[in-house]
Amino acid sequence: MTISNGSLDAEQLRGQLEQLAQHHGIDRWDLGASCSTDTSVQVDRGEAKQMKGAQRSAITVRVWNGDGLVGITSTSDLSPDGLEKALAGARAASAFGNPEDTPAFSPLATAPLPELHQPLRPSQPILSLLETLKDAERQLLERHPAIGTVPYNGLAQRRSERLYLNSDGACRQQRLTTASVYLYAKAEETGRKPRSAGAVRLAYGADDLDLAGCIAEAAERTISHLDYAPIETGHYTCVFSPEAFLDLIGAFSSLFNARAVLDGVSLSKRESLGEQLAVPFLSITDNGLHPGNIGASAFDGEGTPTRALPLLEGGMLANFLHSEATARAFGVVPTGHAGLGAKVSVSPDWFEVGPAPGSGGGQQGLDHHSHGEAKGLVLIDSLSALHAGVKASQGSFSLPFDGWLVHGGERRSIEAATVAGDIRQVLQAIVGFEGEAKITPDGLCPQVWVEGLSITGEA
Amino acid sequence: MVVSIAPPSLRQLDGSWALRLESLLAAGRAAGADLVEVFLERTDHLGVLAEQDGITSVSPAFGMGAGLRVFRGLRDGFVSTNDLSDAGLLEALDQALGMLGLQRSGAVRSAFEGLGSLRDHASAKADWLLRCPELAAATTRLLEGTAALERRGTHLQVRRGSYARDWQEVLVAASDGTFARDIRLHQSLGLNVLASDGEHRSSIGRRYGSHGRPEQLEQWDVDASAQEVCESAATMLYADYVEAGQMPAVLANRFGGVIFHEACGHLLETTQVERGTTPFADKVGEPIAHEAVTAIDEGLSDGAFGSLAMDDEGMEPERTVLIENGVLKRFLSDRAGQLRTGHARTGSGRRQSHNFAAASRMRNTYIAAGPHTPEQLITSVDKGLYCKSMGGGSVGPTGQFNFAVEEGYLIENGRLTMPVKGATLIGEAKEVMPRISMCANDLDLAAGFCGSVSGSVFVTVGQPHIKVDSITVGGR
Repeated sequence: MTISNGSLDAEQLRGQLEQLAQHHGIDRWDLGASCSTDTSVQVDRGEAKQMKGAQRSAITVRVWNGDGLVGITSTSDLSPDGLEKALAGARAASAFGNPEDTPAFSPLATAPLPELHQPLRPSQPILSLLETLKDAERQLLERHPAIGTVPYNGLAQRRSERLYLNSDGACRQQRLTTASVYLYAKAEETGRKPRSAGAVRLAYGADDLDLAGCIAEAAERTISHLDYAPIETGHYTCVFSPEAFLDLIGAFSSLFNARAVLDGVSLSKRESLGEQLAVPFLSITDNGLHPGNIGASAFDGEGTPTRALPLLEGGMLANFLHSEATARAFGVVPTGHAGLGAKVSVSPDWFEVGPAPGSGGGQQGLDHHSHGEAKGLVLIDSLSALHAGVKASQGSFSLPFDGWLVHGGERRSIEAATVAGDIRQVLQAIVGFEGEAKITPDGLCPQVWVEGLSITGEA
Repeated sequence: MVVSIAPPSLRQLDGSWALRLESLLAAGRAAGADLVEVFLERTDHLGVLAEQDGITSVSPAFGMGAGLRVFRGLRDGFVSTNDLSDAGLLEALDQALGMLGLQRSGAVRSAFEGLGSLRDHASAKADWLLRCPELAAATTRLLEGTAALERRGTHLQVRRGSYARDWQEVLVAASDGTFARDIRLHQSLGLNVLASDGEHRSSIGRRYGSHGRPEQLEQWDVDASAQEVCESAATMLYADYVEAGQMPAVLANRFGGVIFHEACGHLLETTQVERGTTPFADKVGEPIAHEAVTAIDEGLSDGAFGSLAMDDEGMEPERTVLIENGVLKRFLSDRAGQLRTGHARTGSGRRQSHNFAAASRMRNTYIAAGPHTPEQLITSVDKGLYCKSMGGGSVGPTGQFNFAVEEGYLIENGRLTMPVKGATLIGEAKEVMPRISMCANDLDLAAGFCGSVSGSVFVTVGQPHIKVDSITVGGR
């Protein structure tokens, strides 16, 4: 076995692969492997609802055949038999490799890795996690008499390890511990509809989680939706929460994705670099190395080091996210955003959104508490159903949201509504930013004001 | 995790596992568990992607694993592992027991009376995997698909065909004597296009799925599928955005059934009763929908994506009438659901893989056919929306649902007029179910995937054409 004491043995794995590859006449290969140990708990009104544990392992082997074509196979069976079967499967699949777009080893697969400050925290006993979560649930229930249950909750911890090896000698390995807590409460007042909201926190270990902050945020958000009213359909200036704006940018990240550009499914084209996509005071950087990114990867699926990459500078498209193959097609270096496959996927890490340096950041002094919008201002707290309501290749979206209408200095929850628009128009209709940038699981972002969005309500 | 010995070679999950499993179950019971369940699986997956006129990705994967679940009182602990050695399974059991404050003792006596005889649902399915098309044949069929798109489409910027084959062998053993085996084979085919003309764009996709039909790829009517996709893409390419507001809607059959799946189906799973997130928890025997609505969930339809010979807790599926003429009849229940809510199991305990504990989940879920023709539904609407093709959707913790309309048309004075895009339908189950006032006579089913507490599972949604008297249409 290549797992011992919960760790991947890189040298043993390399030795096995080299032997098997030689036996099968394979000169060139690489692999990605991972293993993890997870424990998690859920509670329901003071009782354990479910407790879970998992030991997982997985490996993806990629081989190049005599014609230079690539095939892969993945498996959770890390036994010698499993590895041999995976190698044979990858070789068989390589007969159907794409000669028009053949991946190669990343030229940066042996480049120095960034130093990440990720403390490895010891795992807590699961019964200790249970008591912690029961206490958190109790505190949340005590915050308001209308909060009757916390139907979605969980406290989880993970110890994980990733590995990348290739036949040219590259060896990447990263160990990580993470923990998360989420609390979604349901509140209901007599004669009114139930309302729900919640909060999430991440940390390197269960003891580091900001439970008090999570409880306070879940309570505040849930209570704030108790008094609700329908909103009239129309066009409004909207203020996106950091979480909501980052969700929207993430859903349209194909704008920045070289793989999507080459595949023809991005709104951007090869020649789009330098185009003014957004207002000149907007900056977006993909920065997986930001210290706020809990669980950051030091390298991508091809072993390329992670790095910060400006995507929009002064509103102009500055760079695309790349794998080795897309970088080669564009004549640049890989950016550390690749997966591992016969056709390598490309995806963003973690966004930093905010005012472009030296730009002033648009309209100053924005404060939704004291705005002058006669019709009212819509605060968008969270977006739903992005998987269904976003047409990334068309730029359009129509999404349910939770939020508030601010009118005359008063904030009132919106009963049920959707927000619709086009991402290109959104990026050009940003008015400015409000407040300090906030660290979220998906990135760093302040509140973002956007004018003229279509809101459909039930009034 | 300490692994000292290699797991046995997993050539087959069958009755030869009985002694090992009995030993494990007995140890769990002797430790004080009320019930111990073991779920073993082997999987073999193949994914193929064709783009334009070439194969761009072939992704085989295989695996194995076990999920152990231990119940004591109303509580349970669940552990999954890829390590199927005796030591690995015992460690998983110890971890699950520990979650409930139990530990194995030296005692070998327990109330466990041994496994029953193996109920082998897999015996006639041993050749399913072998009867599936070879990789070369699969790639050829997909390229026929993208070529057919090219022949039948206009302004196509991207043409894609995809094929996924998921083979799974499962063995379920529990300390109540359950001992059952099955083989599942799910295959899905997809065609997707992106059409583009200047600033106009449309993206359309269709998926066709089956269970237990190794010949599906060979029998696929490539031209008919390509025609359907290309017609839809061409229609939607120049469509305007829908005008937002409250209006009546007619939803087409097949994947239109996602409205019931999201708006109501999830709320009839005992998982939701346990959480207190369904408004229907105490409504059995009461009307919750218009009397025109009868809704069924079953795992029996031959070849349907959500069909199964046994659920992931070893129980044979049944035909469950959820709503009859508007009156709530049953909830979908699994082992934990029966324990915690009292609703009898319905063969609905499902999970994506050994990494998930089973939960009550939908299988083939549909609204039954009614007496009307689809035309009668449309002619009954003065001004509204016709939803010919639906995208995905979801339901929230308070019963709010949403789903996207992929291909829509305005209904004006009882007839279809302009195509419209960008519509999202939202509402609440309690409010929308009484507004489904007419059902047509053209029930049809469509394959889909459903993601929820126990992962992503294969399902079928379905309905005849239905009319919703009023619903919120989000748009511009």
